Amino acid sequence: MTLLSVKDLRVTFDTEAGRVEAVRGVSFSLGRERLGIVGESGSGKTMTGRSVLRLIRPPGRIEATEMVFDGTDLMAASEREMRALRGQRIAMVMQDPKYSLNPVMKVGAQLTEGLRLRDGMSAKAAHGKAIEALEAVQIRGPERVMEAYPHELSGGMGQRVMIAMMLIPNPDLLIADEPTSALDVTVQAEVLSILDGLVRDRGMGLIFISHDLRLVGRFCDRVLVMYKGRVVEELEAKNLMQAEHPYTRGLLNCLPRIGGSRAPLPGLDRAAEWAE
Amino acid sequence: MALIEVENLSVHYGTKGQLVRAVECVSLSVDARESYGLVGESGSGKSTILRAICGLAPITAGQIRIGGQPVPTPRGRAFSRRVQMVFQDPYASLHPRHTLDRTLSEPLAIHGIGGSDARVVRALEDVGLPANFRFRYPHQLSGGQRQRVAIARALMLEPEILLLDEPTSALDASVQAETLNLLNRLRDERGLTFLMVSHDLAVIDHMCDRVLVMQHGRAVEELTRDQLAGAQMTTDYARTLFDASADRMLGA
Repeated sequence: MTLLSVKDLRVTFDTEAGRVEAVRGVSFSLGRERLGIVGESGSGKTMTGRSVLRLIRPPGRIEATEMVFDGTDLMAASEREMRALRGQRIAMVMQDPKYSLNPVMKVGAQLTEGLRLRDGMSAKAAHGKAIEALEAVQIRGPERVMEAYPHELSGGMGQRVMIAMMLIPNPDLLIADEPTSALDVTVQAEVLSILDGLVRDRGMGLIFISHDLRLVGRFCDRVLVMYKGRVVEELEAKNLMQAEHPYTRGLLNCLPRIGGSRAPLPGLDRAAEWAE
Repeated sequence: MALIEVENLSVHYGTKGQLVRAVECVSLSVDARESYGLVGESGSGKSTILRAICGLAPITAGQIRIGGQPVPTPRGRAFSRRVQMVFQDPYASLHPRHTLDRTLSEPLAIHGIGGSDARVVRALEDVGLPANFRFRYPHQLSGGQRQRVAIARALMLEPEILLLDEPTSALDASVQAETLNLLNRLRDERGLTFLMVSHDLAVIDHMCDRVLVMQHGRAVEELTRDQLAGAQMTTDYARTLFDASADRMLGA
């Protein structure tokens, strides 16, 4: 079943220096699966994720021939309808917990704010639900974390708090923008297994945006490789190592490997025609 | 004799009335022209060791010697001539309102070294940045370019030792490759000694001759490069770390 279908998505910014096309004709569809979007910084992967929520501010413009989420036309939806979708049905986890949590509000207050204002829940019920969400992302001592400020948490904890916050309304689609880049390998593995469990248990769709090709290959079902605003290759994650496009191969080859040679790592030769 | 010797180093802080034991009784020694790695998860104290060496963290117990001499407190100019540090986040470690020219010439002015004009031009060239970047501000550069500036700044005083604190973890894969190649080239050309922190075992393996695995402020195990590649670790924690990096193996 298709949850989200995007056809010919374009994001353009009209700047003083001329038009900048951040995303140029991206099409994909997503079921209840894990879709990875990889590319370097500036490849348009974050913009693609944000477009789905229409979170691009002027002078940025979103154009698409089709962008439908579970029967709702996202291009035609009013701002009011979009607000009803954001968070409730489509949630987004941002990259950096340091900048995405409110630094002067306790974690508990941030987790319950939406429940109390939007769903009109009592303080007690909201508190219980927040604790449940923190337990779902395997935070030990959730009561203590509820009383903490974001700066008192480590990077891994902060990231888990953000994931918990996004999961409270039980969304159908989660867009995770570099959710683990700020984390160590061991914590990274934990956060990934939490996300993995949620996709399986709740039947959620996941768009996983990352620059780490190996990670995406291991974790996702399908991978889109983006370069300069275009999808240069789409492939099954298990076939990632057999990728054919020279850009994907270049990204794979420039990573150092344990036991590999000490010779200079191959750089990435960018051919102009990849962007065509 | 080893160039950097850290002997039974402990670093303790007091915050909110609680004692934090960031580093507990860690010893290591790095020979001249060697490249030595520190790995472990965040909070394992690996960066704190680098910070203690250059005086940004207190030495609670133990001793740090550079070239056989205990480091003075405060570290002083002679120390900065020999030892320089490159920080993790190039967005945070460059002054946002100083041009590259000012950033690079400041260490020369402090140490009373002349000819800064020619030295700045050469420094930019050495790290592969175009000469016309000289009067730009950090916000006009990409992350990889900024890290090149940070490396250039660390090399202005022609030190023997570079302390590298996760120098590529804020960078994309392709930019990481370029930066690692740059560091290796500079090490060859100038005979530098590296003490490098990373949480990526593949990066450590590529860059370092020996590596110390750390956990909770303590040294867990020291491995040579061959032992690491051959998975010949003896402690459980080093094994866990190695297994979590399985996708970074050759042939994976």
